[in-house]
Amino acid sequence: MFLKLYLPLMFIASISASSLEYDGWLHINLYHAIDMDLPNKFTPRGNVTISSLNSGSFTIVQEPLSNNERIKIKKLAENDKVYRLKAVVSGQDGEEATFLTYSRACALAASQLTDSLWVSLNHLGHVLGVSQSISGTGNCRDQSFNHQVDALEEFNTDVFVKHTELAPIPDTASFIQKMEREREARERGDVKDNRGFLAKYWMYLLPVVVLVLLSGASNPEGGGGGAR
Amino acid sequence: MKINFRLLAMNLSNFSPRNYVLLVATFFCFIQNSQQLYEDQIGKFDWKHNFVGKVKYAYFDGTAGDRIIVATEQNVLAALSVRTGDILWRKIMEKDIRGTIQYLHVTQSDKNELTRPGEYNDYDIITISGTSPAMVRGWNPNTGNIIWEWSLTPNTQANAENSLWIFRDLVLYHIVPVYGSHIEVTGYYAKTGHHVKSTTTRVSAPWIVQGKCIVVAPYFVCTIGSQLVAVNLLAENSVLVAKDFDRDISGSDLKLLKGVEATVIVGNEAYTLHSDKITLRSNVDSFNFNLKINNENILIAGSLQEDKSIRISSKYLDSGEAYNDLYLVAHFPETLGSPQILDVQCKSKGSGPVACRMLLSSDNAAVILMQQGKIKWVREEALASIVAVEMIDLPLADFEGSIQSELQNKDGDIFGTLLRRISNQILQLRNMILTVIGLDGHRPDQTNDVDLTRDAFGLHKMIVAVTEHGKIFGIDNISGKYYWIKHLPNFKGFNEHQSLKIFVQRTSRHFPNPPMCVVIGRNKINGNGILYQFNPISGQPINGGITTLNYKIQQMTLLHDTESDFLKAILILDHENKVHVIPEKAAKLAHKMYLYTADKTRGTLSGYLVEYSNQQLDAVPIWEVHLGGAGNIQKITNIAMKSAIEHVHSQGRVLNDRSVLYKYINPNLVAVATQGPDSIHKYVLNVHLIDVVSGAVVTSLTHRRAKGPIHMVHSENWLVYSYYNDKVRRTEMTSVELYEGKSQANSTIWSSLDAPQLPMVEKQSYIIPANVVSLKETITEKGITNKHVLIGLSTGGVIEMPWVLLDPRRPILLPNQGREEGVIPYIPELPLPSENVINYNQSVAAIKDFFVTRIAPSKSFDLLKEDFDYILITVVLAALTISSCVAKHLSSRKTIKQAWK
Repeated sequence: MFLKLYLPLMFIASISASSLEYDGWLHINLYHAIDMDLPNKFTPRGNVTISSLNSGSFTIVQEPLSNNERIKIKKLAENDKVYRLKAVVSGQDGEEATFLTYSRACALAASQLTDSLWVSLNHLGHVLGVSQSISGTGNCRDQSFNHQVDALEEFNTDVFVKHTELAPIPDTASFIQKMEREREARERGDVKDNRGFLAKYWMYLLPVVVLVLLSGASNPEGGGGGAR
Repeated sequence: MKINFRLLAMNLSNFSPRNYVLLVATFFCFIQNSQQLYEDQIGKFDWKHNFVGKVKYAYFDGTAGDRIIVATEQNVLAALSVRTGDILWRKIMEKDIRGTIQYLHVTQSDKNELTRPGEYNDYDIITISGTSPAMVRGWNPNTGNIIWEWSLTPNTQANAENSLWIFRDLVLYHIVPVYGSHIEVTGYYAKTGHHVKSTTTRVSAPWIVQGKCIVVAPYFVCTIGSQLVAVNLLAENSVLVAKDFDRDISGSDLKLLKGVEATVIVGNEAYTLHSDKITLRSNVDSFNFNLKINNENILIAGSLQEDKSIRISSKYLDSGEAYNDLYLVAHFPETLGSPQILDVQCKSKGSGPVACRMLLSSDNAAVILMQQGKIKWVREEALASIVAVEMIDLPLADFEGSIQSELQNKDGDIFGTLLRRISNQILQLRNMILTVIGLDGHRPDQTNDVDLTRDAFGLHKMIVAVTEHGKIFGIDNISGKYYWIKHLPNFKGFNEHQSLKIFVQRTSRHFPNPPMCVVIGRNKINGNGILYQFNPISGQPINGGITTLNYKIQQMTLLHDTESDFLKAILILDHENKVHVIPEKAAKLAHKMYLYTADKTRGTLSGYLVEYSNQQLDAVPIWEVHLGGAGNIQKITNIAMKSAIEHVHSQGRVLNDRSVLYKYINPNLVAVATQGPDSIHKYVLNVHLIDVVSGAVVTSLTHRRAKGPIHMVHSENWLVYSYYNDKVRRTEMTSVELYEGKSQANSTIWSSLDAPQLPMVEKQSYIIPANVVSLKETITEKGITNKHVLIGLSTGGVIEMPWVLLDPRRPILLPNQGREEGVIPYIPELPLPSENVINYNQSVAAIKDFFVTRIAPSKSFDLLKEDFDYILITVVLAALTISSCVAKHLSSRKTIKQAWK
């Protein structure tokens, strides 16, 4: 599957691209709403500890689901409801922040509870958002929901950290360097003549064209042949 | 499943560029080379309306007869022609509060008899703008040139905002009321700014209350309890004068009666202030003016009548007896709103009747001149504060419409269909013949074409402009003519600087259903939602027009699906997070719609999913992000969405190795800019790209030591924004492009829940050697043409910047192997050639002029030049045909003759 291969690859690229000046840690408590009859009741799902924001290393603790919970998730999936996840994040500064994210319950069931959590950070390492994603959602309608309840045994979760990147500043330095190099090259005289073919050889081509035109004009039969 | 539904709503979205340059321009692939306009093409595709803004103060210029000097809420000082209402000259003060005009003095002729007409002295026009510092300026009324200027920085900032001014005998008095304590009066010589006295006079006045007092030169008047209290500020020993009332008047309005005497209006009675007493004069009407005619004190009073007319009558202020020379009843269209008299100028020729000119301004910013008992001209200054614009295609001509309906009509018997077909074809034939005969009459650039039907290229459109004052205009984009005007007196914009919104519920394409627009705002009376549905072509209300709602609006959008009438219903999220659909029968179409709201100060974005079950709509909160960081220090300042009508034609970009880089085209992506202070870098500006369906933060960029004003334009797979870099003190622009990579996740249908989480982000920054005040992208119907970014500059120019120059993929070093097509090497500074200024020398000044033109980002294609000579080509063709026939005849005769020889 394309996405599964693609994501980890990009992930490594992203953490190497930017990082925080001071590394930190995060603790996330996860709660989910799986009861269709009580849509605003969030029950504990597990917790994540990201020990290093720069490296993105994490540990996750999630208990296996009880039979009752599995049935509830299956029911959500069958009714094409959303599976909502609440993340309560606490960090080094002790402040707690609550984030909300969701996925389609049928996609979650189809993936057998395999999901990814994306934790986005701002330039100071504060959390902007926690987002749940499920790879290969496809179209829920095509999938049959008669999954075994047993398949919905345990969450299999990956956690990724997304950093804020430093925006580029106008790159005047390398432009000046480039101009400098070009100037030096010109002074050394080894500038490659990259003018077009016509621009380079027009003085040779012009007489040929004139000759052709003259010979055409001296032969009126050939020129006016198509008139009638 | 509608998970890929595009979300068009927003609470915070329209920090739109329209606020400044009245945008405009765009469109289809057409007309000549837009850049490098020839001199004779000036005004061919473009027009410009100049405005001064809502008038605050106005006077007939006493020194020359045919001029009106106005000072406006848009910080403009201008002279208008009395005869036509045209702008003679116009001066624009500083922006915002720094240039707010506090005071305008225009010398009146009767006080200035020493000057001959046409001459001026240094005191003819005086303006005071801003508070700290206050700029005092003297102007030449003939040319509008500034003659002198000085500034005044007040000692106490807090009280300075309440500053008031009086000009009397060449001296300008600065009055600072300190509420609950005293009034400070300082005199300055108007021309030089020197103090008249070395000290500031303090008038003890512990009774003054903010909001209950006004200045009526030279008095300071307040309504305190059941008393009207006044003090003469300019007298040596000021004495308090008071008038007792038998009721509490502190609740009633205290207004100045404009004109000659120090007179105030309390309730509906006029009182004149004297140094020792206050006298009751006479009753007033809804708007009033006081002037001297032949040394008699005349009160002019007027009111609007039920039958769309205005009645103005006059009486002697002293006796209250009717003054018969001045009475008029004139037609007064409803769209002008409720007026106030700004100034009156009367002339009496000997003993004959007086002739008066009256300058009125209305609450919806119209400026009206009445003369000889009727309206002479009207200036629609509401257009200086347009808040939303839609450009509507004109409907098809009748015969085209009937073809359309025939194609749609599947039922009917065979003869009926045949008949319809034949009649249609006769119509078509007739029309074709008409077109052939009257070639000249149907050229696309014909400007005075009155019938509102679509032209061959769809260039002719109706601009529907919604203004801050609740006035809507239907304007022809080719001629600039106002086809219709509608005034909605009960409408106001939303809070947090969110203006009135306009949505197109049905376009002109669904013949015979009329096109339909809706304007949504807040009810002035109770703050609840209110909407007005109308036909944008005719301006006529639909479904009775105004609908009042009994809830406050938090968010709104249009539904995507329509029922058989092609009408897009409105989805509204109210302040209690309940969902409503208008009309209600379309409620089930709102199932699985996504909405989001933004909280500017907390920096929070929340997403909702709308679900329809058991005949009921519910909004389920599904995601929430906090962009504010710890302590909410980052505040949301801009939100940029993609245009709802945008089509992206090209899905990818061909690289030099012939492979394709696919664009990340997410219609649900929204750019959010947040700004806040920072302990290390002073200010930090963050730009986040957020998918408002899945709630994912797709990417975030941070700028250190950068601050606003930010302007953003978000389109296709890119985002461009401008900001001020405080470190190097210049304006910079950053462009960001998103790509999915070398393959597409799903090429047929976009789903935010299925999208790649980490698209490739290309970004680059450029220096722009100008001040950006607005940004907008060009948009074409099918998205085939190149994208250009229109940049409104503080100089009043609108620059057309091709996207290739902003491309973040411009390489710094030339690659060794072949270059990518259409990518030019990186140069840090963006060029601003003057040929790219689409409004050439027609500057759109900071006060919001209205400039409309056409541009063709990908050049025009198969169009004839606008000055193509149809007659010449017809004559030449005809002559050639005839001469060839003649020649053929002659030559056959010749061959016959030769054969007989």
